[in-house]
Amino acid sequence: MSILEIITERVEEKPIPSVIAFKLLKLIEDEDHSLKDVTKLVEADPSLTTEVLKVANTPAYYRGNAVSTVNRAILLLGEMMVVGVAICASSSIVFHAPLEGYDSPEGEMWEHSLRTAIAAKALAKYANKNIQPGLAFTAGLLHDIGKSVISEFLIGKSNILLEACGSGKCANFTDAERELLGTDHTKVGYALAEYWGLPESLKIPIRDHHEPHLTLDRYKPLCYLIHLADLLAMSGGCGTGTDSFAYTIDRRYEEHIKLDRNEIEILLLQIQDDFTSIKESIMNR
Amino acid sequence: MNVVYVGVGEMATSRKPEQIVKTLALGSCVAVVMLDPQNKTVGLLHVALPDSSINKKRALERPGMFADTGLETLMENMKNQGFLGGRLVVKLVGGASVMDPNNTFNIGKRNILSVKKTLWKYKLGALSEDVGGSISRSVAINVKTGKVVISSPGRGDWEI
Repeated sequence: MSILEIITERVEEKPIPSVIAFKLLKLIEDEDHSLKDVTKLVEADPSLTTEVLKVANTPAYYRGNAVSTVNRAILLLGEMMVVGVAICASSSIVFHAPLEGYDSPEGEMWEHSLRTAIAAKALAKYANKNIQPGLAFTAGLLHDIGKSVISEFLIGKSNILLEACGSGKCANFTDAERELLGTDHTKVGYALAEYWGLPESLKIPIRDHHEPHLTLDRYKPLCYLIHLADLLAMSGGCGTGTDSFAYTIDRRYEEHIKLDRNEIEILLLQIQDDFTSIKESIMNR
Repeated sequence: MNVVYVGVGEMATSRKPEQIVKTLALGSCVAVVMLDPQNKTVGLLHVALPDSSINKKRALERPGMFADTGLETLMENMKNQGFLGGRLVVKLVGGASVMDPNNTFNIGKRNILSVKKTLWKYKLGALSEDVGGSISRSVAINVKTGKVVISSPGRGDWEI
């Protein structure tokens, strides 16, 4: 069996990170759904109810009044953010297993995903086109899921991958993965997202966050946003091991996101603070 | 050995020979290591941003977040541990940058510059450094020996 065939098999072995999150996604996809439907679904799950209320009361969202009902919390967070919270609250192996092939210990993939999600949510404010912060958050959370599949095929190959990037043979880490395996974490992540039945708005950024210029025009703003958020997470010290910093910023992000140097520093501080508060609220279960 | 972890925007000083002072995953952040050979004191600061002017309130709550206020506070802490002036060894680690053709996102570079500028104010310079580039580093200092060891995923560890 070829590596690609084994990878395809592995994709089909990965369980959905959160059943409730995917029920919510299906509900949101239906244009006729109401806030009441979402509230009902969340309320039917006591642990998600607690998480949603906790996140709505973190400093990242808190606006002076304690949020005590699910209904208000959903209005404050946005529906897609509730999906993100549900995924965060799951203890899925997709996020919590170590990525041995990336020399990345247990917990790093989770922190990188959460940090990217928070950065994406914060960046949404600076996008030229309206991007829902909750969608940015959830897309950020899921962007690297492919790593959970291909990690095992990269074990012991760090030197080869780093050498390929360092020598200029490969432009970035995804190229090096492709050179070695014939595929990379973005393509495998897309296959996984497809297998799980994720909506297009979440699948596309998984596939195109390192090559946002290749994506469909309507997804360019979101893909550039996740592209930057991913790099901001690495910059903040939350990478996933060997591939941290092994990517180049695509300058064309400027067509979609406006940020000057001063704003970047303010943004990084906000990301750091939101990350600390949301991480604590999710960890203290 | 017991390990004292220094988080983002935090700092620590130690005179306990059995301790290792450590900070993880620097990314674009810069670790300022201070060694007072006379007092056998070690100081470590994990700076995230170059300048406190972007948020004075935050700088008061957590001075270590910024290069200027962080170094000022670390210097005070070193004095409180008995540093009386004289020789102070400074080492710098971190300040990585994503590959950015127009430098807007080179926060690592700006952090390093700001740390160096602030050090000059105290007439200090780095004796050794492992900064910049595109790698994320962690750093550990052995209080007893003053050894500063850097590690990075996939690259092992080395001393500076």
